[in-house]
Amino acid sequence: MHASVLSATLLGVEGRPVRVEVHASSGLPGFTVVGLPDTTCREARDRVRAALLSSGLRWPTQRVTVNLAPSGLRKAGAGLDLAMAMGLLVVTEQVPPTAVHERAFLGEVGLDGSLRSVPGALPLIDSLHEPEVVVPSACAVEAGLVGRHRVRAVPTLSALVGALTDRCPWPELPPAPEPPPPPPVADLADVRGQPAARFALEVAAAGGHHLLLVGPPGAGKTMLARRLAGVLPDLSPAQALEATCIHSAAGLPLPPGGLLRRPPFRAPHHGASAVSLVGGGSAAMQPGEVSLAHRGLLFLDELGEFDPRVLDHLRQPLEDGVIRVSRAAAKVTFPARFLLVAAMNPCPCGEGGPAGGCRCSVAARQRYARRLSGPLVDRFDLRVEVGRPDIADLLRSVTGEPSRAVAARVAEARLRAAARGVHANATLPSWRLDDDAPLDAVATRVLELALGAGRLSGRGLGGVRRVARTVADLAGATGPLIGEHVSTALALRAEPIFLAGRAA
Amino acid sequence: MQPLRSPELLPPARRDAGATGDGGVGGDSPPRGDGGGFRRDCGGGGDGRGGGSEGGGGATGAGDAGGDSPSRGDGAGFRRDGGGGGDGSGGRAEGGGGGLPAEAYAACLAALPGMGPARLMAVLALDDPAAAWARVGSGRGWGERQVREALGGGADRLVERWQRAARDISPAAMWQRVLDAGVGVATLGSPAYPSALADDVEPPAILFHLGSPEVITGPRVAIVGTRRCTATGTSVALELGRDLSRAGVAVVSGLATGIDAAAHRGALTAGAAPPIGVAGSGLDVVYPRGQAALWQAVVDTGVLLSETPLGIRPERWRFPARNRIIAALADLVVVIESHRRGGSLHTVDEADRRGVDVLAVPGSVRNPAAAGTNGLLAEGRAPVTCADDVLMALGLGSAGRHPPADRRPRPAPDDQALLDVLGWQAATLDQLLLRSERDLGAMTMSLHQLIQAGWVVQHGGWYERVAEGGS
Repeated sequence: MHASVLSATLLGVEGRPVRVEVHASSGLPGFTVVGLPDTTCREARDRVRAALLSSGLRWPTQRVTVNLAPSGLRKAGAGLDLAMAMGLLVVTEQVPPTAVHERAFLGEVGLDGSLRSVPGALPLIDSLHEPEVVVPSACAVEAGLVGRHRVRAVPTLSALVGALTDRCPWPELPPAPEPPPPPPVADLADVRGQPAARFALEVAAAGGHHLLLVGPPGAGKTMLARRLAGVLPDLSPAQALEATCIHSAAGLPLPPGGLLRRPPFRAPHHGASAVSLVGGGSAAMQPGEVSLAHRGLLFLDELGEFDPRVLDHLRQPLEDGVIRVSRAAAKVTFPARFLLVAAMNPCPCGEGGPAGGCRCSVAARQRYARRLSGPLVDRFDLRVEVGRPDIADLLRSVTGEPSRAVAARVAEARLRAAARGVHANATLPSWRLDDDAPLDAVATRVLELALGAGRLSGRGLGGVRRVARTVADLAGATGPLIGEHVSTALALRAEPIFLAGRAA
Repeated sequence: MQPLRSPELLPPARRDAGATGDGGVGGDSPPRGDGGGFRRDCGGGGDGRGGGSEGGGGATGAGDAGGDSPSRGDGAGFRRDGGGGGDGSGGRAEGGGGGLPAEAYAACLAALPGMGPARLMAVLALDDPAAAWARVGSGRGWGERQVREALGGGADRLVERWQRAARDISPAAMWQRVLDAGVGVATLGSPAYPSALADDVEPPAILFHLGSPEVITGPRVAIVGTRRCTATGTSVALELGRDLSRAGVAVVSGLATGIDAAAHRGALTAGAAPPIGVAGSGLDVVYPRGQAALWQAVVDTGVLLSETPLGIRPERWRFPARNRIIAALADLVVVIESHRRGGSLHTVDEADRRGVDVLAVPGSVRNPAAAGTNGLLAEGRAPVTCADDVLMALGLGSAGRHPPADRRPRPAPDDQALLDVLGWQAATLDQLLLRSERDLGAMTMSLHQLIQAGWVVQHGGWYERVAEGGS
């Protein structure tokens, strides 16, 4: 007797359809799983057996072989449990063979016969082309996000068998929850003074330019960076689905509506390992922080404390928007298009500025400067020195502009970028700069002088023009870029003080 | 007397020690080079001048050294290549009659671990250098009371350490290295020893030099300050070094990064009075490494001094010792920027011990790098605002030189307003925006113009006003 049930497994953040073939024949009773299952997957035997028995179903007394096809693909996790159970029920004739036609099954079974959610339900279901999918109730919301399938959500194995044998109706889908009001985020109104840093934040949000904040402890770098998430525009439906897929695959809790509508904000600690940052892992290919921040914000606080080798892994995703993780077992491409915001002290003691309050030795400062590779620094088009606000300035300045007002300008600027056919100005290709970011005479002169004086490198020129374009977009300016736009972009691209001397 | 060996028979590692790359660290390591071309390039300069002194010293004590010295290459006779680099390889030693000069043994003694200037003086007060080296090697003869007093606490352990370290130091190799590097050596009392230091309260027992020691004649001013200086400090140092040099005053400094280096750069741009550099490390160990070009320029136009033997990396205690030489060489010490407890204040103490006047450049009360100098002013030291102040203090009067007219274009009114709110403190964009109450675009345009015209320098994300144009 033979049965074939459709399911899916995760490879990185993508689902891959898997056909679970169950074969029962006479012979010594036994149960073998073949087709590259990992340990969790192999243990399905014991879970499924207990679940069947607890649900009052029969366990075959024959020799059973389960093959997971394609057999060359590594299968991880417990998501195939339900499909195996269904295959067994078909070969033991406890459900009719038609029950598994044009249906896919996903879910982990508990020993008591209950069905449990699986990580990555969204990408898993997205990879399936059957008209109907059966998932645990806990996955119902995620499963509904794909929208192409008829979703059957069942709480237990016995309820499922009841529905498949027409003894009872399919359980009702839980009502789709209302998208909750956006959670309160820290507001820019709390930031006093620091107009340049605020503006840099706005430019970063509007143009998708990576931002490096340098300053002594207590200058408010972290406070500023955390508020950037609040001024980013909502995700488009397609972006939301991409981001949600990744979070789902990583097994992270999703918001009540199921869909990530706001850009994700990830702030890994500076002890992060390379794998935790870019993804991978020996057992299952897990997305790293750069992928979890896809379409959102990756905030690296204390950038200087990260392992330099770990930081250099960021170069590929910053360039290509994806990270290709290659292991002996598998090669996986994770999406990783994020806005990078980093904050760091100018030197180990934090006081290094031209005022000379630094207590670090020359060697310590040089070591610190070496922690950031030049190519990585080059990826930051916005580099702003954040000083501690003078007390007088702090008292004089009124409450800052609220995030809402800034977010409106950012959304406006993004529309202008979209009119150029790019998601944000940071992704404007070089060959488009002359058309999309032309320079007027003064602007050209400013750039020429800066290049001639060694304040700007040829490498930084494209970045400055893109930032200037965003500055102009925020100001609502059309036409060629003028001197003020370019000089602002130049000023917002200061070489970090510990690297000063290099052209920006 | 042991049989003579020509240098060609020395182990290759020893003979070529000066030319090999980086080696071990520390005073008791075998001689080593820093891998830079610095040493050899300047070989020619030191050759001819050094010759006389070593010839004189070579006669003393060479005989008994040959008998007792435990080290390799002992008894090998070396003579300074008087031709001064005629063979292009920078003064190779030649095998010949006679022993090593006393300077070779003095250099070895100075290379022993824990051998500070005071102990070296004490050890050399007992014997001539060769005999002292033999005493170190044997580990005997340290029992007398006055000797133990001179060595200070822990004398027994020190003598033992020295004895151990001495096994790895060969006077012949040390001398070969000195010759290879083209470095001149003078011991206290020898004719080549700079007279400016000979009468000092704590003169270095041995002095190595590259360049022309005879430039240590005219008026000399030490310009010292912190390594962690502001752009203002650097530009003041540059200016002062330049103007003093133009006025014929030699600038003495320590070649550290920051103020020291800026002062020498200024002096070098003037190209008038020769610069005098005092290093804390051996003359073939450029420290800090980034200053190699400056070292070379000082050697080419002036003189570079050190009491540290070749190959010795700068240990912490060597910098205060160097500061005393700076103070001893100077007729006047000018401190440009110093933190509250900076190393420059040590130079000030040394100057005070010698009765050398100290002047200080006033700084902003908000500038921590000026806390030390402002403290000096509070103690009643004279302030320095320009080279003329220093020249007056030297009794040279104003050189009658008027500062060159500021050739920078006058800033536009808007730019001038920004310059006014910038003041003399480095400021970030944030601070400037709040103070000027202008919008970012217009303000950055002004900044751009001010930078371009030389009124403002950008240092990372900080903007600092520049006092005077052109140099």
